[in-house]
Amino acid sequence: MDFPWLTTVITLPIVAALLVPLLPDKDGRTVRWFALTVGLIDFALIVYAFCNYYDFGNPDLQLVESYTWIEQIDLKWSVGADGLSMPLILLTGFITTLAILAAWPVTLKPKLFYFLILSMYGAQIAVFAVQDMLLFFLVWELELIPVYLLLSIWGGKKRLYAATKFILYTAGGSLFILVCALAMAFYGDTVTFDMSALAAKPYTHNLQLLLYGGFLVAYAVKLPIFPLHTWLPDAHGEATAPVHMLLAGILLKMGGYALIRMNAGMLPDAHATFAPILVILGVVNIVYAALTSFAQRNLKRKIAYSSISHMGFVLIGIGSFTDLGMSGAVLQMVSHGLIGASLFFLVGATYDRTHTLMLDEMGGVGQQMPKIFSMFTACSLASLALPGMSGFVAELTVFIGFSTSDAYSLPFKVLVVFLAAVGVILTPVYLLSMLREIFYGPENKELTSHEVLIDAEPREVFIIGCLLVPIIGIGFYPKILTEVYDSTTSKLTARLRDAVPTLANQRADRAIAVAPLTAPAIDGR
Amino acid sequence: MEPIYEYAWAIPVLPLLGATAVGLGLISFNQATNRLRQANAVFIMSTLGAAMVMSLALLWSQIGGHDAFVRSIEWAAAGDFKLTMGYTIDRLSSLMMVIVTTVALLVMLYTDGYMAHDPGYVRFYAYLSLFSSSMLGLVVSPNLVQIYIFWELVGMCSYLLIGFWFDRKPAADACQKAFVTNRVGDFGLLLGMLALYWCTGSFEFDVMGDRLHDLVASGALSAGLATLFCVLVFLGPVAKSAQFPLHVWLPDAMEGPTPISALIHAATMVAAGVFLVARMLPVFEGLPMVMDVIAWTGAFTAFLGATIAITQNDIKKSLAYSTISQLGYMVMALGVGAYSAGLFHLMTHAYFKAMLFLGSGSVIHGMEAVVGHEPVLAQDMRLMGGLRKYMPVTSATFLIGTLAICGIPPFAGFWSKDEILGLAFQANPALWLVGWLTAGITAFYMFRMYFSTFEGEFRGNDETIRQKLLAEAMVPVTVEVPAFGPGAMDPKELDHGDHHHAHEPHESPWTMVVPLMVLAVPSMAIGLLGMPWNNSFEHFLEPETVAHHGEQAFEWAEFLIMAGNSVGIALIGITLASLTYLRDKIDPAAIAEKLGPIYRFSLKKWYFDELYDTVFVRGSRRLARQVMEVDFRIVDGAVNLTGFVTLVSGEGLKYFENGRAQFYALIVFGAVLGLVVLSGIS
Repeated sequence: MDFPWLTTVITLPIVAALLVPLLPDKDGRTVRWFALTVGLIDFALIVYAFCNYYDFGNPDLQLVESYTWIEQIDLKWSVGADGLSMPLILLTGFITTLAILAAWPVTLKPKLFYFLILSMYGAQIAVFAVQDMLLFFLVWELELIPVYLLLSIWGGKKRLYAATKFILYTAGGSLFILVCALAMAFYGDTVTFDMSALAAKPYTHNLQLLLYGGFLVAYAVKLPIFPLHTWLPDAHGEATAPVHMLLAGILLKMGGYALIRMNAGMLPDAHATFAPILVILGVVNIVYAALTSFAQRNLKRKIAYSSISHMGFVLIGIGSFTDLGMSGAVLQMVSHGLIGASLFFLVGATYDRTHTLMLDEMGGVGQQMPKIFSMFTACSLASLALPGMSGFVAELTVFIGFSTSDAYSLPFKVLVVFLAAVGVILTPVYLLSMLREIFYGPENKELTSHEVLIDAEPREVFIIGCLLVPIIGIGFYPKILTEVYDSTTSKLTARLRDAVPTLANQRADRAIAVAPLTAPAIDGR
Repeated sequence: MEPIYEYAWAIPVLPLLGATAVGLGLISFNQATNRLRQANAVFIMSTLGAAMVMSLALLWSQIGGHDAFVRSIEWAAAGDFKLTMGYTIDRLSSLMMVIVTTVALLVMLYTDGYMAHDPGYVRFYAYLSLFSSSMLGLVVSPNLVQIYIFWELVGMCSYLLIGFWFDRKPAADACQKAFVTNRVGDFGLLLGMLALYWCTGSFEFDVMGDRLHDLVASGALSAGLATLFCVLVFLGPVAKSAQFPLHVWLPDAMEGPTPISALIHAATMVAAGVFLVARMLPVFEGLPMVMDVIAWTGAFTAFLGATIAITQNDIKKSLAYSTISQLGYMVMALGVGAYSAGLFHLMTHAYFKAMLFLGSGSVIHGMEAVVGHEPVLAQDMRLMGGLRKYMPVTSATFLIGTLAICGIPPFAGFWSKDEILGLAFQANPALWLVGWLTAGITAFYMFRMYFSTFEGEFRGNDETIRQKLLAEAMVPVTVEVPAFGPGAMDPKELDHGDHHHAHEPHESPWTMVVPLMVLAVPSMAIGLLGMPWNNSFEHFLEPETVAHHGEQAFEWAEFLIMAGNSVGIALIGITLASLTYLRDKIDPAAIAEKLGPIYRFSLKKWYFDELYDTVFVRGSRRLARQVMEVDFRIVDGAVNLTGFVTLVSGEGLKYFENGRAQFYALIVFGAVLGLVVLSGIS
């Protein structure tokens, strides 16, 4: 057995979090340096482990570790990473470390704050890494509690309402995970919680549909999908900037990840039935949330709805039955993780100066804060999918992937692509009018008379710079990221296509014609 | 010549490096970078200069008959799908690169004078360089996706530059309008691109065209559908080249600094739409319906632009509508299949319109010395007049540009416009008629502009006109604008004198005048490349066609009739303009009074802005608000209602657990009774 890399990167922040209360610290300065150091070390470990021990060409789980935990119920601590989880683990390390840096000015109960952030760090990585269904449920729950506390202690005026709503929604969703996990585990002759073993079980079609529906509810809350999205604007509206970055950057991705890993990966037959629904929900997400965002006057809620809108592309990609669409879905998750985090950070930075989130009370602040203005512009342009930035590549691949998909009829594709493209017009409408209302125009004397608008400090420029580097890097040359997970998503798509009778036949036809080029058929079903 | 082709990727990359370096400097060492004003400008101009030299060398090699050169790398991949990016150097792209780099370099030189006192001087250069890079990337694109990428990037640069003076409300509105309108076009382009990829499986122009025609010919794809796809793609150029009905953004885009109007909104970016149509011509050609749509869109836009330009009083807006009109000519040319004629007009127009815009900038710069930095005053032709005396070089070059755009031989515009009109006549006399009428209107409004700006008496000190203009624009009269803006004066200059301002405008500094003089050369002479009896331009762009059809017999009689017609109507237009605005024989106000509704229709730009505002802007706002209400009251309302019901039912149910056994028995009895009744019914 090699060095347990994944276990280390999961446990290190959690152990460090437990040490936080013991630190001799009065004003919170030592704690934040401690948290930042832990974050950096952990991120470095992640990068090192993936650079040296991860093979991009291999579509299967790597860095696998498995230890029996409770033998009676076959609960195992088993972790591993494949192309799906690896980019998200990297993203988690990256965003959380930056969030710690973003939390520099937090003065209220710093020890508790950093304790929660660090324990979230570990729990989030665990969500993407664990390969045991019961364990997955546990870490999924584990990450909820810090978020609840972070919202309810450091939030805005309506923080208790928002936090309660968040916990009720997500805990309610998790129940579905638990029920479905148990149902899957006890189905058939053997009792197991191992994900690959569960995926191989021959469920009846109806049971698959039920399980799929159950998981969908749970992950729809998290992603979020219309109509289960209303916790998100409240939670985002009340959270502080670092919590924001985590919510938008990572928590939403857990929904997308689990949707691909469990719904699509374990229940491919049901996916064939549900995929059109996912696509329709995706389109609804894009257009509905974009319109709502346009009408919002509260800055945080506006960006929150824009997140919901962007997640629609993930759904369309998952439902596309093409390599390209699936690849675009993963790309969109990573890309939105970066862009969403940067936008929310900037919203926080702007709020710190203007002390208002209402667009009507701002205006013309660009003159005194040119740096924040330019960074906000750059991130908004990234969010509206400007080429040269990651969002564009993700949306373009989803578009091409879906429009070339052979699983849907032409009218359906035309309708979906058309409506999704309407979102392409709506996004600049709300993002640019937001920019205009905050920064452009003559200075708002009422605001400037009682607020001191200082420009961005180097720390803030550094954080945005760190986020923009991968955003632009992926935008310029997307292969640096897509290569990482391409083998995994291709394998997954092949399996999904096998579940659709018409597509499976096509594949068989093609296999005869160009036999050496096709991947070996996946058996086990 | 091979190595220069190998390194041709440097042409778009060099200006990008310049922009990145200066941009990083601005973000990290803002004050130091801003202090090195001209050093930045020189650095950025030298990177672009290097790109220009390379472009010229490539053009020379292409003229020498070098084969087209394509180089590409795999850019994105997923499963079996591969998407490549790269560059292609052929006759068209080498020509476009030379146009872009030369105009951009001259505009950068001009900027030094125009923006000399603006606090955003360095930022402006960074944006200019970024734009040049994106535009060069666009013209070397070997496939549709790459064009789309750079297409959006030039749109972004245009957004940033229109909103350059972001503290002005009109600029803030204009930049958003430009971006969103262009996104509407891009929406069509994206859909069309996806649809064409779906049926042809390629993003390369030639492959796409061949396969599409095969599909249509074999009946696998109905011609109607193919037409629809192509028209969707054409929506992109409609927005970018400001064609009807998406032309509304371009006049507003004049809120940006004048060098931008010259570079982006006259010479290069707006021509990108024409360029894309030219690139897509292999796809469009086989579909007559598409070609008709393109030709008529162009013709109608040419007419629309000219009819609006005729009544505008803002010198830049008037030029903007003239640009719309001239772009219409180019699009019409491509629509009738006149590939080289359309591109020839693109080239001549790029030079003379850039010069006209820079000239208008020079005029504004001079006017600001008199009226201050209020665009409402400095750009209005009603306050100008007699400037020839004060600004000799500007007026001379402006006259050359005016003659060129009116189509007076031997200036550049004559040859290109005449070629378009001739070919349009062969295709459809109705198109020719529209183009011919437009040529007359063009001559009228251009000379109206020239006469009221440079001839007659200087009216800049007339307080009554000033008050009237300010009242029309609803600007508070006592506005005290700081030294900020185009050609903002040196504070020292403001100190002396009792009136803050000079009484007479002055000629602009040499950095602004030299580009004007340089641009005057191609405006006069470049048309000679396309003389119909020796059309070296067409030889260069379409050697295959020329070789295939053989040298088309040139007929003097035909040429003289066509040319005579267009020169004739131009002369009529000029005569009318001189009678009205130079000799005061005709009173324009009286005519405007008499033709009230028509005059207002033109002055209000055919009411497009009002219409779009009501239908799209307010409509979308209303829809968005309604959706938000639904979200808040119904979707979220249901959630809160659930919470409320749980609370209430919990409160209510606790009264049932009161510990009295009789009550429990009663409930049990009631339940049993209910069950019995229920089972009895069913």
